[in-house]
Amino acid sequence: MIVTVTLNPAYDHILILEEMDPGQLNRASTTMRIPGGKGVNVACSLALLGEEVIATGFLGGSVSRPFEEYLRKVGVTTNFIYTNTELRTDFFVMEEKKNRQTLLVEEGSAIELRYINSFKTNFERLLGQADIIEIGGSLPKGVSPSFVKELIILANKKNVKVVLNVQEHILKECLGTKLFIAMPDLRGCENIMGKNVCKLNLRPLISKEIMDKGTEIVILNSESFKYTVANKDELWEGEIEAGKAPIKIGVRDSLLAGFIYNYKSSGNLGEALKYGLGCALSTARNKKANQPNSIKEVEELRLMAKVRKVS
Amino acid sequence: MKKVKEFMTRDLTSVTEDTSLVEATEILSLRGLNGIPVVNKHNEIVGWISERDIVTSIFPEKVKIENPDIVGFTNLSKVVKKLTQVGQARVKDYMSKTFHGVKEDDDASDVAELLLHKDLKRVPVTRNKLLVGVVDRASLAHILLEEGTLE
Repeated sequence: MIVTVTLNPAYDHILILEEMDPGQLNRASTTMRIPGGKGVNVACSLALLGEEVIATGFLGGSVSRPFEEYLRKVGVTTNFIYTNTELRTDFFVMEEKKNRQTLLVEEGSAIELRYINSFKTNFERLLGQADIIEIGGSLPKGVSPSFVKELIILANKKNVKVVLNVQEHILKECLGTKLFIAMPDLRGCENIMGKNVCKLNLRPLISKEIMDKGTEIVILNSESFKYTVANKDELWEGEIEAGKAPIKIGVRDSLLAGFIYNYKSSGNLGEALKYGLGCALSTARNKKANQPNSIKEVEELRLMAKVRKVS
Repeated sequence: MKKVKEFMTRDLTSVTEDTSLVEATEILSLRGLNGIPVVNKHNEIVGWISERDIVTSIFPEKVKIENPDIVGFTNLSKVVKKLTQVGQARVKDYMSKTFHGVKEDDDASDVAELLLHKDLKRVPVTRNKLLVGVVDRASLAHILLEEGTLE
């Protein structure tokens, strides 16, 4: 059983148009509204792959019920803590002609301490059923990176593996705890641990620095379909030819889901990376959701992935 | 006939015995539910707390109907005092320890019989004693009608 934690989920409101003219009236040819947030995206992809998964975090307001219903429809078990605040909406403007994506993110309201305490109690109970905990995404106001560290320590005590899919400042706070996988969210930045992640020759150093602080596997990327995966013994690079697949939200999360799913059974970094790349591309091709189109498509696409062992 | 796991609501919303009644009430209110399972630290169901349990705890047999349209209290100060006490109380003091549940491999017809005979709106679903979801009358009715149409 995998439990995904999304402390700051949001509805992803996606507006697709040929090209945006800033400052002018623009009409979207297609509009979608789907549950989002890193943990939620990972949960949806894992459910499609047939994994039993529980999604938890904070929700609130009238739109939370359809949010949960959507997740349950795709096979995710829900266990969110409802607060007296309103769920955020993130706006994505996708321009087909330029294959460009513009993101407008709502900050959201602060979470009161009583809800944070309820979440922690519930989280401890879920640990009893979990093999892996995935914690992903940003933090709402009122929740600090040290709270994430607290959750990891609780999981470590129960020998539940932890996957961390967060921004650098949260990751840095949590280094020193025992992490199964660290996948820094590098959107909007090129540097991590003070080094440029775009430079392939620096990735082994970045990975080593993170692994030296207690992490088993590090996944790095700078572009949608080019990844580096490392553990203490091996380092792999992988990419997949995306063709006309649009830049799309949830692709990185889908790669992570595919990687976790495959690595659980294969224990092979290269194979897991291939599978993850297949998931990522299938998600990019899915025009209706932040998850792969089908297992069959993932199986087909992973054969197109090119991975090589660097060391 | 469909199995419960094919149509249950995969949601684990629950409280523990130590949850305050205030918090339990807020959960029911925010989610628009009439009852939720009470679980222990292993996520095993140990009871059920409903809006009825809570309302009864606030107004114990003291509600007097003076007029079909007006509900009055024999002693308002007593009710206020009771409200303060109840607010601090824990779920374990007011939950129903005898509750009805179904297993995820039970047939839809078994659940229908249970809900109708016991006049229940919602029951928890378990797998090896662990909470895995809930079934309510609406989703059951939908699934039975769907099956009836197919036949």
